Amino acid sequence: MKRNQKLAYLFIAPSSLILIIFVFVPLFEAFFISLTNMDIYMNGYNFIGVDNYLRILEDSRVWNATRNTIVYTIIEVPLQIALSLFILLLMLGNNKFHKFLRTVFYIPYVCSMTAISVMWSMILNKNSGMVAFMLSKIGIEIPNLLGTPGYAMGTVIAVSVWKSFGYTLTLLSAAALGVSQSLYEAAEIDGASWIKKFIYVTIPGIRETIAFCLVTTLITALQVFDQIYVLTQGGPLYSTETLVGYIYDRGFKTAPFDVGYATSVAVYLFFLIAIITFVLRRYATRREEE
Amino acid sequence: MNRKAFDILGTVVLVIIMLIILLPLFWLLVSAFKSDFDVMRWPPKFFPSEWVGTQFAYVWKVLPIPTMLKNTVCFAGAVTIISLFFDSLAAYAFARMDFCGKKIIFGIILLTMMIPFQIVMIPIYLEEYKMGILNSFIGLVLPRAASAYGIFMLTSFFTGIPKSLDEAARIDGMSEIQIYLKIILPLSKPALVTLGIFHLMNNWNDLLYPMMLTSTQERRTLSAGLATLVGSNAIKYGPTLAATVIAIAPLLIVFLLGQRFFMEGIATSGMKE
Repeated sequence: MKRNQKLAYLFIAPSSLILIIFVFVPLFEAFFISLTNMDIYMNGYNFIGVDNYLRILEDSRVWNATRNTIVYTIIEVPLQIALSLFILLLMLGNNKFHKFLRTVFYIPYVCSMTAISVMWSMILNKNSGMVAFMLSKIGIEIPNLLGTPGYAMGTVIAVSVWKSFGYTLTLLSAAALGVSQSLYEAAEIDGASWIKKFIYVTIPGIRETIAFCLVTTLITALQVFDQIYVLTQGGPLYSTETLVGYIYDRGFKTAPFDVGYATSVAVYLFFLIAIITFVLRRYATRREEE
Repeated sequence: MNRKAFDILGTVVLVIIMLIILLPLFWLLVSAFKSDFDVMRWPPKFFPSEWVGTQFAYVWKVLPIPTMLKNTVCFAGAVTIISLFFDSLAAYAFARMDFCGKKIIFGIILLTMMIPFQIVMIPIYLEEYKMGILNSFIGLVLPRAASAYGIFMLTSFFTGIPKSLDEAARIDGMSEIQIYLKIILPLSKPALVTLGIFHLMNNWNDLLYPMMLTSTQERRTLSAGLATLVGSNAIKYGPTLAATVIAIAPLLIVFLLGQRFFMEGIATSGMKE
Protein backbone atom coordinates (compact mmCIF):
# COMPACT_ATOMS: atom_id res chain seq x y z
CA MET A 1 0.00 0.00 0.00
CA LYS A 2 2.76 2.44 0.96
CA ARG A 3 4.56 1.80 -2.30
CA ASN A 4 1.36 2.40 -4.19
CA GLN A 5 0.83 5.71 -2.40
CA LYS A 6 4.17 6.97 -3.67
CA LEU A 7 3.39 5.72 -7.13
CA ALA A 8 0.03 7.49 -7.10
CA TYR A 9 1.72 10.79 -6.29
CA LEU A 10 4.19 10.12 -9.08
CA PHE A 11 1.27 9.58 -11.45
CA ILE A 12 -0.36 12.89 -10.60
CA ALA A 13 2.95 14.80 -10.41
CA PRO A 14 3.38 15.98 -14.02
CA SER A 15 -0.12 17.39 -14.43
CA SER A 16 -0.18 18.81 -10.91
CA LEU A 17 3.09 20.59 -11.56
CA ILE A 18 1.78 22.13 -14.78
CA LEU A 19 -1.47 23.16 -13.10
CA ILE A 20 0.40 24.67 -10.16
CA ILE A 21 2.83 26.66 -12.30
CA PHE A 22 0.39 27.80 -14.95
CA VAL A 23 -2.91 28.01 -13.07
CA PHE A 24 -2.49 28.30 -9.31
CA VAL A 25 0.53 30.56 -9.11
CA PRO A 26 -0.96 32.85 -11.77
CA LEU A 27 -4.26 32.84 -9.87
CA PHE A 28 -2.55 34.10 -6.73
CA GLU A 29 -0.51 36.56 -8.74
CA ALA A 30 -3.81 37.77 -10.16
CA PHE A 31 -5.15 38.42 -6.67
CA PHE A 32 -2.05 40.53 -6.05
CA ILE A 33 -2.33 42.38 -9.35
CA SER A 34 -5.97 43.18 -8.57
CA LEU A 35 -4.73 45.14 -5.56
CA THR A 36 -2.48 47.36 -7.67
CA ASN A 37 -2.92 50.05 -10.28
CA MET A 38 -0.82 48.12 -12.81
CA ASP A 39 -1.31 49.06 -16.45
CA ILE A 40 -0.51 47.03 -19.55
CA TYR A 41 3.12 48.22 -19.64
CA MET A 42 3.61 46.78 -16.14
CA ASN A 43 6.10 49.30 -14.82
CA GLY A 44 5.85 51.79 -11.98
CA TYR A 45 2.72 50.44 -10.37
CA ASN A 46 1.63 50.84 -6.75
CA PHE A 47 -0.19 48.78 -4.21
CA ILE A 48 -3.59 50.43 -3.76
CA GLY A 49 -5.40 47.95 -1.53
CA VAL A 50 -9.04 47.21 -2.21
CA ASP A 51 -9.62 50.40 -4.22
CA ASN A 52 -10.28 48.39 -7.39
CA TYR A 53 -12.94 46.35 -5.62
CA LEU A 54 -14.62 49.49 -4.31
CA ARG A 55 -14.61 50.78 -7.88
CA ILE A 56 -16.48 47.64 -8.99
CA LEU A 57 -19.31 48.46 -6.59
CA GLU A 58 -19.81 51.84 -8.25
CA ASP A 59 -19.23 50.72 -11.83
CA SER A 60 -22.61 50.34 -13.53
CA ARG A 61 -20.98 48.59 -16.51
CA VAL A 62 -19.93 45.74 -14.21
CA TRP A 63 -23.51 45.24 -13.07
CA ASN A 64 -24.81 45.51 -16.60
CA ALA A 65 -22.22 42.94 -17.71
CA THR A 66 -23.13 40.66 -14.80
CA ARG A 67 -26.78 40.80 -15.79
CA ASN A 68 -25.96 40.09 -19.45
CA THR A 69 -23.68 37.20 -18.52
CA ILE A 70 -26.40 35.63 -16.37
CA VAL A 71 -29.12 36.24 -18.97
CA TYR A 72 -26.91 34.62 -21.63
CA THR A 73 -26.19 31.65 -19.36
CA ILE A 74 -29.70 30.91 -18.13
CA ILE A 75 -31.07 30.99 -21.67
CA GLU A 76 -28.22 29.41 -23.62
CA VAL A 77 -27.45 26.43 -21.36
CA PRO A 78 -30.99 25.02 -20.94
CA LEU A 79 -31.69 25.71 -24.62
CA GLN A 80 -28.63 23.78 -25.73
CA ILE A 81 -29.39 20.81 -23.48
CA ALA A 82 -33.13 20.78 -24.24
CA LEU A 83 -32.47 20.91 -27.98
CA SER A 84 -29.97 18.05 -27.68
CA LEU A 85 -32.45 15.96 -25.68
CA PHE A 86 -35.19 16.68 -28.22
CA ILE A 87 -32.96 15.62 -31.12
CA LEU A 88 -31.85 12.57 -29.14
CA LEU A 89 -35.50 11.57 -28.79
CA LEU A 90 -35.86 11.80 -32.58
CA MET A 91 -32.70 9.77 -33.16
CA LEU A 92 -33.26 6.85 -30.82
CA GLY A 93 -33.81 4.62 -33.85
CA ASN A 94 -30.05 4.86 -34.38
CA ASN A 95 -30.22 3.87 -38.04
CA LYS A 96 -27.72 4.86 -40.73
CA PHE A 97 -29.36 8.23 -41.33
CA HIS A 98 -29.20 9.05 -37.62
CA LYS A 99 -25.53 8.11 -37.48
CA PHE A 100 -24.86 10.36 -40.46
CA LEU A 101 -26.78 13.20 -38.78
CA ARG A 102 -24.73 12.90 -35.63
CA THR A 103 -21.62 13.61 -37.69
CA VAL A 104 -23.34 16.53 -39.46
CA PHE A 105 -24.47 18.08 -36.17
CA TYR A 106 -20.94 17.86 -34.83
CA ILE A 107 -19.39 19.76 -37.76
CA PRO A 108 -20.02 23.32 -36.44
CA TYR A 109 -18.40 22.35 -33.16
CA VAL A 110 -15.20 21.50 -35.01
CA CYS A 111 -15.00 24.99 -36.48
CA SER A 112 -13.63 27.89 -34.50
CA MET A 113 -16.14 30.22 -32.86
CA THR A 114 -14.40 33.13 -34.58
CA ALA A 115 -14.97 31.63 -38.00
CA ILE A 116 -18.59 30.73 -37.23
CA SER A 117 -19.28 34.22 -35.93
CA VAL A 118 -17.77 35.84 -39.02
CA MET A 119 -19.95 33.62 -41.17
CA TRP A 120 -23.17 34.41 -39.31
CA SER A 121 -22.48 38.14 -39.15
CA MET A 122 -22.38 38.10 -42.95
CA ILE A 123 -25.42 35.86 -43.40
CA LEU A 124 -27.47 37.96 -40.96
CA ASN A 125 -26.33 41.29 -42.41
CA LYS A 126 -29.44 43.35 -43.14
CA ASN A 127 -28.06 44.88 -46.35
CA SER A 128 -26.36 41.97 -48.08
CA GLY A 129 -27.18 38.83 -46.12
CA MET A 130 -29.00 35.74 -47.35
CA VAL A 131 -31.45 35.59 -44.44
CA ALA A 132 -32.71 39.14 -44.92
CA PHE A 133 -33.07 38.51 -48.65
CA MET A 134 -35.00 35.25 -48.29
CA LEU A 135 -37.31 36.67 -45.64
CA SER A 136 -37.94 39.78 -47.74
CA LYS A 137 -39.10 37.48 -50.54
CA ILE A 138 -41.92 36.23 -48.34
CA GLY A 139 -42.63 39.76 -47.16
CA ILE A 140 -40.84 39.83 -43.83
CA GLU A 141 -38.53 42.76 -43.17
CA ILE A 142 -36.04 41.84 -40.45
CA PRO A 143 -34.50 44.51 -38.27
CA ASN A 144 -30.75 44.82 -37.94
CA LEU A 145 -30.47 41.76 -35.69
CA LEU A 146 -26.98 42.43 -34.37
CA GLY A 147 -27.39 46.21 -34.18
CA THR A 148 -30.64 46.45 -32.24
CA PRO A 149 -30.48 46.19 -28.45
CA GLY A 150 -33.61 44.05 -28.15
CA TYR A 151 -32.43 41.44 -30.66
CA ALA A 152 -28.64 41.32 -30.32
CA MET A 153 -28.41 39.04 -27.29
CA GLY A 154 -30.98 36.63 -28.71
CA THR A 155 -29.00 36.44 -31.94
CA VAL A 156 -25.74 35.79 -30.09
CA ILE A 157 -27.44 33.00 -28.13
CA ALA A 158 -28.89 31.47 -31.30
CA VAL A 159 -25.46 31.41 -32.98
CA SER A 160 -23.91 29.85 -29.85
CA VAL A 161 -26.53 27.10 -29.66
CA TRP A 162 -26.23 26.50 -33.42
CA LYS A 163 -22.52 25.93 -33.02
CA SER A 164 -22.43 23.92 -29.80
CA PHE A 165 -25.47 21.65 -29.48
CA GLY A 166 -23.69 18.94 -31.48
CA TYR A 167 -21.20 18.56 -28.66
CA THR A 168 -23.91 17.95 -26.07
CA LEU A 169 -25.82 15.72 -28.45
CA THR A 170 -22.77 13.53 -29.10
CA LEU A 171 -22.13 12.99 -25.40
CA LEU A 172 -25.81 12.32 -24.70
CA SER A 173 -26.22 9.87 -27.58
CA ALA A 174 -23.12 7.97 -26.52
CA ALA A 175 -24.56 7.68 -23.03
CA ALA A 176 -28.01 6.74 -24.35
CA LEU A 177 -26.55 3.91 -26.40
CA GLY A 178 -25.01 2.62 -23.21
CA VAL A 179 -28.37 2.28 -21.45
CA SER A 180 -29.05 -1.40 -21.00
CA GLN A 181 -31.49 -2.92 -23.52
CA SER A 182 -33.03 -5.06 -20.80
CA LEU A 183 -34.42 -1.93 -19.15
CA TYR A 184 -36.23 -1.03 -22.37
CA GLU A 185 -37.52 -4.57 -22.68
CA ALA A 186 -38.80 -4.51 -19.12
CA ALA A 187 -40.54 -1.19 -19.80
CA GLU A 188 -42.07 -2.65 -22.94
CA ILE A 189 -43.50 -5.62 -21.01
CA ASP A 190 -45.04 -3.10 -18.64
CA GLY A 191 -46.69 -1.55 -21.68
CA ALA A 192 -44.80 1.75 -21.65
CA SER A 193 -45.15 3.93 -24.76
CA TRP A 194 -42.01 5.17 -26.58
CA ILE A 195 -42.27 8.61 -25.03
CA LYS A 196 -42.64 7.09 -21.57
CA LYS A 197 -39.61 4.90 -22.25
CA PHE A 198 -37.64 8.03 -23.13
CA ILE A 199 -38.72 9.83 -19.95
CA TYR A 200 -38.49 6.92 -17.54
CA VAL A 201 -35.66 4.81 -19.00
CA THR A 202 -33.41 6.93 -21.23
CA ILE A 203 -33.27 10.13 -19.19
CA PRO A 204 -32.58 8.48 -15.82
CA GLY A 205 -30.03 6.26 -17.56
CA ILE A 206 -28.07 9.24 -18.85
CA ARG A 207 -28.61 11.50 -15.86
CA GLU A 208 -24.92 11.63 -14.98
CA THR A 209 -24.00 12.65 -18.51
CA ILE A 210 -26.69 15.35 -18.46
CA ALA A 211 -25.20 16.67 -15.23
CA PHE A 212 -21.73 16.61 -16.78
CA CYS A 213 -22.96 18.55 -19.83
CA LEU A 214 -24.80 20.98 -17.61
CA VAL A 215 -21.73 21.83 -15.53
CA THR A 216 -19.31 22.12 -18.46
CA THR A 217 -21.64 24.19 -20.67
CA LEU A 218 -22.47 26.38 -17.69
CA ILE A 219 -18.82 27.16 -16.99
CA THR A 220 -18.21 27.82 -20.69
CA ALA A 221 -21.28 30.06 -20.89
CA LEU A 222 -20.24 32.18 -17.93
CA GLN A 223 -16.95 32.83 -19.76
CA VAL A 224 -18.54 33.66 -23.12
CA PHE A 225 -16.30 35.90 -25.23
CA ASP A 226 -15.31 34.93 -28.80
CA GLN A 227 -18.76 35.09 -30.43
CA ILE A 228 -19.59 38.40 -28.79
CA TYR A 229 -16.21 39.86 -29.70
CA VAL A 230 -16.83 39.10 -33.37
CA LEU A 231 -20.62 39.53 -33.62
CA THR A 232 -21.35 42.69 -31.61
CA GLN A 233 -18.23 43.84 -29.69
CA GLY A 234 -20.53 44.08 -26.67
CA GLY A 235 -22.90 46.52 -28.36
CA PRO A 236 -25.29 47.94 -29.23
CA LEU A 237 -25.43 50.19 -26.17
CA TYR A 238 -23.62 47.55 -24.06
CA SER A 239 -26.61 45.23 -24.46
CA THR A 240 -24.39 42.20 -25.11
CA GLU A 241 -21.39 43.18 -23.04
CA THR A 242 -20.50 40.25 -20.77
CA LEU A 243 -18.02 40.12 -17.92
CA VAL A 244 -15.17 38.60 -19.91
CA GLY A 245 -15.81 41.11 -22.67
CA TYR A 246 -15.67 43.94 -20.16
CA ILE A 247 -12.44 42.56 -18.64
CA TYR A 248 -10.90 42.43 -22.10
CA ASP A 249 -12.13 45.92 -22.90
CA ARG A 250 -10.74 47.54 -19.75
CA GLY A 251 -7.43 45.68 -19.75
CA PHE A 252 -6.46 45.40 -23.38
CA LYS A 253 -8.71 47.33 -25.73
CA THR A 254 -9.62 50.77 -24.39
CA ALA A 255 -6.98 53.13 -22.98
CA PRO A 256 -5.97 53.48 -20.19
CA PHE A 257 -5.15 49.78 -20.27
CA ASP A 258 -6.10 49.24 -16.68
CA VAL A 259 -4.82 45.70 -16.05
CA GLY A 260 -5.15 46.01 -12.27
CA TYR A 261 -8.79 46.95 -12.42
CA ALA A 262 -9.55 44.42 -15.18
CA THR A 263 -8.01 41.70 -13.03
CA SER A 264 -10.15 42.64 -10.04
CA VAL A 265 -13.23 42.21 -12.23
CA ALA A 266 -11.82 38.83 -13.28
CA VAL A 267 -11.42 37.83 -9.63
CA TYR A 268 -15.05 38.82 -9.07
CA LEU A 269 -16.07 36.67 -12.08
CA PHE A 270 -14.07 33.75 -10.71
CA PHE A 271 -16.01 33.83 -7.45
CA LEU A 272 -19.30 34.20 -9.29
CA ILE A 273 -18.54 31.08 -11.36
CA ALA A 274 -17.29 29.15 -8.34
CA ILE A 275 -20.40 29.92 -6.31
CA ILE A 276 -22.85 29.10 -9.11
CA THR A 277 -21.07 25.83 -9.93
CA PHE A 278 -20.83 24.86 -6.29
CA VAL A 279 -24.53 25.47 -5.66
CA LEU A 280 -25.46 23.54 -8.80
CA ARG A 281 -23.30 20.55 -7.92
CA ARG A 282 -24.66 20.55 -4.40
CA TYR A 283 -28.18 20.58 -5.76
CA ALA A 284 -27.39 17.82 -8.28
CA THR A 285 -25.81 15.49 -5.72
CA ARG A 286 -28.60 16.09 -3.22
CA ARG A 287 -31.16 15.10 -5.82
CA GLU A 288 -29.26 11.93 -6.57
CA GLU A 289 -29.27 10.95 -2.91
CA GLU A 290 -33.00 11.32 -2.60
CA MET B 1 -49.73 9.80 -32.01
CA ASN B 2 -48.44 6.39 -33.00
CA ARG B 3 -44.85 5.39 -33.54
CA LYS B 4 -44.93 5.42 -37.32
CA ALA B 5 -46.37 8.91 -37.69
CA PHE B 6 -43.87 10.11 -35.14
CA ASP B 7 -40.97 8.59 -37.10
CA ILE B 8 -42.00 10.38 -40.27
CA LEU B 9 -42.51 13.70 -38.52
CA GLY B 10 -39.22 13.23 -36.67
CA THR B 11 -37.35 12.62 -39.91
CA VAL B 12 -38.82 15.79 -41.42
CA VAL B 13 -37.71 17.80 -38.38
CA LEU B 14 -34.23 16.24 -38.51
CA VAL B 15 -33.85 17.06 -42.21
CA ILE B 16 -34.80 20.69 -41.52
CA ILE B 17 -32.22 20.93 -38.73
CA MET B 18 -29.66 19.31 -41.00
CA LEU B 19 -30.27 21.99 -43.64
CA ILE B 20 -29.97 24.75 -41.03
CA ILE B 21 -26.56 23.33 -40.15
CA LEU B 22 -25.24 22.56 -43.62
CA LEU B 23 -26.53 25.43 -45.78
CA PRO B 24 -24.66 28.25 -43.99
CA LEU B 25 -21.41 26.27 -44.09
CA PHE B 26 -21.92 25.48 -47.76
CA TRP B 27 -22.64 29.16 -48.41
CA LEU B 28 -19.38 30.07 -46.67
CA LEU B 29 -17.44 27.62 -48.81
CA VAL B 30 -18.79 28.81 -52.16
CA SER B 31 -18.75 32.49 -51.17
CA ALA B 32 -14.99 32.40 -50.68
CA PHE B 33 -14.83 32.08 -54.48
CA LYS B 34 -16.88 35.22 -55.09
CA SER B 35 -15.55 38.47 -56.50
CA ASP B 36 -15.71 41.64 -54.38
CA PHE B 37 -18.80 42.73 -56.30
CA ASP B 38 -20.55 39.40 -55.73
CA VAL B 39 -19.93 39.44 -51.99
CA MET B 40 -21.65 42.77 -51.41
CA ARG B 41 -24.37 42.74 -54.07
CA TRP B 42 -28.09 43.08 -53.41
CA PRO B 43 -30.00 40.92 -54.04
CA PRO B 44 -27.39 38.42 -52.87
CA LYS B 45 -26.74 35.28 -54.87
CA PHE B 46 -25.96 31.98 -53.20
CA PHE B 47 -23.44 30.82 -55.80
CA PRO B 48 -20.77 33.08 -57.31
CA SER B 49 -21.78 34.48 -60.70
CA GLU B 50 -18.13 34.00 -61.59
CA TRP B 51 -15.78 31.68 -59.66
CA VAL B 52 -12.56 33.50 -58.79
CA GLY B 53 -9.56 32.70 -56.59
CA THR B 54 -8.55 36.31 -55.99
CA GLN B 55 -9.63 36.33 -52.33
CA PHE B 56 -7.41 33.33 -51.59
CA ALA B 57 -4.54 34.91 -53.53
CA TYR B 58 -4.88 38.09 -51.45
CA VAL B 59 -4.87 36.25 -48.12
CA TRP B 60 -1.95 34.09 -49.22
CA LYS B 61 -0.02 37.25 -50.11
CA VAL B 62 -0.59 39.19 -46.87
CA LEU B 63 -0.20 36.26 -44.46
CA PRO B 64 2.52 33.55 -44.26
CA ILE B 65 -0.03 30.75 -44.50
CA PRO B 66 2.36 27.73 -44.79
CA THR B 67 4.35 28.83 -41.71
CA MET B 68 1.17 29.39 -39.74
CA LEU B 69 -0.20 26.04 -40.78
CA LYS B 70 3.02 24.37 -39.66
CA ASN B 71 2.93 26.23 -36.31
CA THR B 72 -0.69 25.29 -35.74
CA VAL B 73 -0.10 21.61 -36.50
CA CYS B 74 3.01 21.46 -34.26
CA PHE B 75 1.41 23.39 -31.39
CA ALA B 76 -1.96 21.62 -31.39
CA GLY B 77 -0.34 18.22 -32.07
CA ALA B 78 2.26 18.49 -29.30
CA VAL B 79 -0.28 19.75 -26.78
CA THR B 80 -2.66 16.91 -27.64
CA ILE B 81 -0.10 14.12 -27.26
CA ILE B 82 1.58 15.41 -24.10
CA SER B 83 -1.67 16.36 -22.43
CA LEU B 84 -3.27 12.97 -23.19
CA PHE B 85 -0.33 11.27 -21.52
CA PHE B 86 -0.27 13.48 -18.41
CA ASP B 87 -4.07 13.59 -18.08
CA SER B 88 -4.45 9.82 -18.30
CA LEU B 89 -1.66 9.20 -15.78
CA ALA B 90 -3.34 11.48 -13.24
CA ALA B 91 -6.79 10.12 -14.04
CA TYR B 92 -5.55 6.59 -13.43
CA ALA B 93 -4.35 7.56 -9.97
CA PHE B 94 -7.62 9.32 -9.15
CA ALA B 95 -9.85 6.54 -10.49
CA ARG B 96 -8.05 3.34 -9.52
CA MET B 97 -5.62 4.10 -6.68
CA ASP B 98 -5.94 5.14 -3.07
CA PHE B 99 -3.81 7.87 -1.56
CA CYS B 100 -4.01 10.56 1.09
CA GLY B 101 -5.75 13.77 0.07
CA LYS B 102 -7.17 12.23 -3.11
CA LYS B 103 -10.58 13.86 -2.78
CA ILE B 104 -9.15 17.26 -1.90
CA ILE B 105 -6.60 17.28 -4.72
CA PHE B 106 -9.25 16.16 -7.20
CA GLY B 107 -11.56 18.90 -5.96
CA ILE B 108 -8.85 21.50 -6.41
CA ILE B 109 -8.19 20.29 -9.94
CA LEU B 110 -11.91 20.60 -10.72
CA LEU B 111 -11.76 24.14 -9.41
CA THR B 112 -9.21 25.10 -12.06
CA MET B 113 -11.87 24.49 -14.71
CA MET B 114 -13.74 27.47 -13.33
CA ILE B 115 -10.89 29.93 -13.67
CA PRO B 116 -11.49 32.22 -16.62
CA PHE B 117 -8.43 32.44 -18.83
CA GLN B 118 -8.56 36.24 -18.68
CA ILE B 119 -7.72 36.18 -14.98
CA VAL B 120 -4.44 34.23 -15.38
CA MET B 121 -3.51 35.66 -18.76
CA ILE B 122 -1.32 38.52 -17.50
CA PRO B 123 0.43 36.45 -14.78
CA ILE B 124 1.23 33.70 -17.30
CA TYR B 125 2.67 36.31 -19.61
CA LEU B 126 4.81 37.67 -16.75
CA GLU B 127 5.96 34.18 -15.74
CA GLU B 128 6.95 33.26 -19.26
CA TYR B 129 8.76 36.56 -19.61
CA LYS B 130 10.78 35.79 -16.47
CA MET B 131 11.48 32.22 -17.62
CA GLY B 132 12.54 33.54 -21.01
CA ILE B 133 10.19 31.29 -22.94
CA LEU B 134 7.90 33.96 -24.35
CA ASN B 135 7.28 33.72 -28.08
CA SER B 136 8.74 30.19 -28.18
CA PHE B 137 7.33 26.78 -29.00
CA ILE B 138 7.91 25.56 -25.42
CA GLY B 139 6.23 28.62 -23.98
CA LEU B 140 3.17 27.90 -26.08
CA VAL B 141 2.97 24.17 -25.28
CA LEU B 142 3.91 24.03 -21.60
CA PRO B 143 0.89 25.79 -20.01
CA ARG B 144 -1.40 23.47 -21.97
CA ALA B 145 0.52 20.23 -21.23
CA ALA B 146 -2.11 19.12 -18.71
CA SER B 147 -5.78 19.96 -18.48
CA ALA B 148 -8.26 19.80 -15.64
CA TYR B 149 -11.02 18.97 -18.09
CA GLY B 150 -9.06 16.01 -19.42
CA ILE B 151 -8.32 14.67 -15.95
CA PHE B 152 -11.98 15.13 -14.99
CA MET B 153 -13.28 13.36 -18.08
CA LEU B 154 -10.81 10.46 -18.03
CA THR B 155 -11.27 9.92 -14.30
CA SER B 156 -15.00 9.43 -14.75
CA PHE B 157 -14.34 7.11 -17.68
CA PHE B 158 -11.71 5.04 -15.84
CA THR B 159 -14.02 4.77 -12.83
CA GLY B 160 -16.57 3.06 -15.07
CA ILE B 161 -14.22 0.21 -16.02
CA PRO B 162 -15.04 -2.81 -13.83
CA LYS B 163 -12.75 -3.04 -10.80
CA SER B 164 -12.58 -6.82 -11.13
CA LEU B 165 -10.33 -6.43 -14.18
CA ASP B 166 -7.38 -4.91 -12.41
CA GLU B 167 -7.95 -6.94 -9.27
CA ALA B 168 -7.47 -10.04 -11.38
CA ALA B 169 -4.41 -8.47 -12.99
CA ARG B 170 -2.99 -7.60 -9.60
CA ILE B 171 -3.40 -11.20 -8.45
CA ASP B 172 -1.55 -12.22 -11.59
CA GLY B 173 1.30 -10.04 -10.38
CA MET B 174 0.96 -7.06 -12.72
CA SER B 175 2.35 -3.74 -11.49
CA GLU B 176 0.27 -0.55 -11.50
CA ILE B 177 2.19 0.74 -14.50
CA GLN B 178 1.51 -2.47 -16.40
CA ILE B 179 -2.19 -2.28 -15.50
CA TYR B 180 -2.28 1.34 -16.69
CA LEU B 181 -0.48 0.57 -19.93
CA LYS B 182 -1.88 -2.85 -20.79
CA ILE B 183 -5.42 -2.82 -19.39
CA ILE B 184 -6.79 0.65 -18.75
CA LEU B 185 -5.31 2.52 -21.74
CA PRO B 186 -6.35 -0.06 -24.39
CA LEU B 187 -9.85 -0.25 -22.90
CA SER B 188 -10.07 3.55 -22.93
CA LYS B 189 -9.19 4.10 -26.58
CA PRO B 190 -12.59 5.70 -27.34
CA ALA B 191 -12.29 8.14 -24.45
CA LEU B 192 -8.68 8.93 -25.33
CA VAL B 193 -9.56 9.53 -28.97
CA THR B 194 -12.46 11.73 -27.94
CA LEU B 195 -10.36 13.76 -25.55
CA GLY B 196 -7.55 13.93 -28.11
CA ILE B 197 -9.93 15.46 -30.63
CA PHE B 198 -11.16 17.94 -28.00
CA HIS B 199 -7.59 19.00 -27.28
CA LEU B 200 -6.70 19.22 -30.95
CA MET B 201 -9.83 21.25 -31.68
CA ASN B 202 -9.56 23.63 -28.76
CA ASN B 203 -5.93 24.45 -29.40
CA TRP B 204 -6.34 24.65 -33.14
CA ASN B 205 -9.24 27.08 -32.76
CA ASP B 206 -7.97 29.06 -29.81
CA LEU B 207 -7.58 32.74 -30.47
CA LEU B 208 -6.59 34.79 -27.44
CA TYR B 209 -4.01 32.40 -25.98
CA PRO B 210 -1.60 32.03 -28.92
CA MET B 211 -2.18 35.66 -29.85
CA MET B 212 -0.99 36.78 -26.43
CA LEU B 213 2.04 34.48 -26.07
CA THR B 214 3.46 35.04 -29.54
CA SER B 215 4.62 38.33 -30.94
CA THR B 216 6.19 37.57 -34.31
CA GLN B 217 4.56 36.40 -37.52
CA GLU B 218 6.90 33.37 -37.67
CA ARG B 219 5.37 32.01 -34.47
CA ARG B 220 1.73 32.81 -35.14
CA THR B 221 -0.86 30.06 -35.43
CA LEU B 222 -3.53 30.11 -38.12
CA SER B 223 -6.35 31.49 -35.99
CA ALA B 224 -4.19 34.13 -34.36
CA GLY B 225 -2.73 35.14 -37.71
CA LEU B 226 -6.07 35.26 -39.47
CA ALA B 227 -7.48 37.33 -36.63
CA THR B 228 -5.22 40.16 -37.74
CA LEU B 229 -7.33 40.15 -40.89
CA VAL B 230 -10.71 39.52 -39.30
CA GLY B 231 -10.10 41.79 -36.33
CA SER B 232 -9.10 44.83 -38.30
CA ASN B 233 -11.78 47.49 -38.42
CA ALA B 234 -11.76 47.92 -42.15
CA ILE B 235 -13.16 44.45 -42.77
CA LYS B 236 -12.74 43.36 -46.34
CA TYR B 237 -15.51 40.83 -46.69
CA GLY B 238 -14.05 38.83 -49.56
CA PRO B 239 -10.61 38.07 -48.07
CA THR B 240 -12.22 37.46 -44.69
CA LEU B 241 -14.40 34.76 -46.22
CA ALA B 242 -11.36 33.12 -47.79
CA ALA B 243 -9.41 33.40 -44.53
CA THR B 244 -12.25 31.81 -42.63
CA VAL B 245 -12.35 28.87 -45.03
CA ILE B 246 -8.57 28.42 -44.74
CA ALA B 247 -8.81 28.50 -40.94
CA ILE B 248 -11.47 25.81 -40.64
CA ALA B 249 -10.73 23.60 -43.65
CA PRO B 250 -7.74 21.54 -42.41
CA LEU B 251 -9.35 20.53 -39.13
CA LEU B 252 -12.68 19.88 -40.82
CA ILE B 253 -11.01 17.56 -43.34
CA VAL B 254 -9.26 15.68 -40.52
CA PHE B 255 -12.59 15.35 -38.71
CA LEU B 256 -14.49 14.15 -41.78
CA LEU B 257 -11.79 11.59 -42.60
CA GLY B 258 -11.71 10.31 -39.05
CA GLN B 259 -15.34 10.83 -38.11
CA ARG B 260 -16.36 7.19 -38.35
CA PHE B 261 -13.61 6.23 -35.92
CA PHE B 262 -14.48 9.15 -33.67
CA MET B 263 -18.26 8.73 -33.58
CA GLU B 264 -18.06 4.95 -33.16
CA GLY B 265 -15.40 5.57 -30.57
CA ILE B 266 -17.76 7.40 -28.26
CA ALA B 267 -20.74 5.24 -29.14
CA THR B 268 -19.04 1.94 -28.37
CA SER B 269 -17.25 3.31 -25.34
CA GLY B 270 -16.91 1.03 -22.35
CA MET B 271 -19.41 3.11 -20.41
CA LYS B 272 -21.96 0.34 -20.71
CA GLU B 273 -21.49 -2.48 -18.25
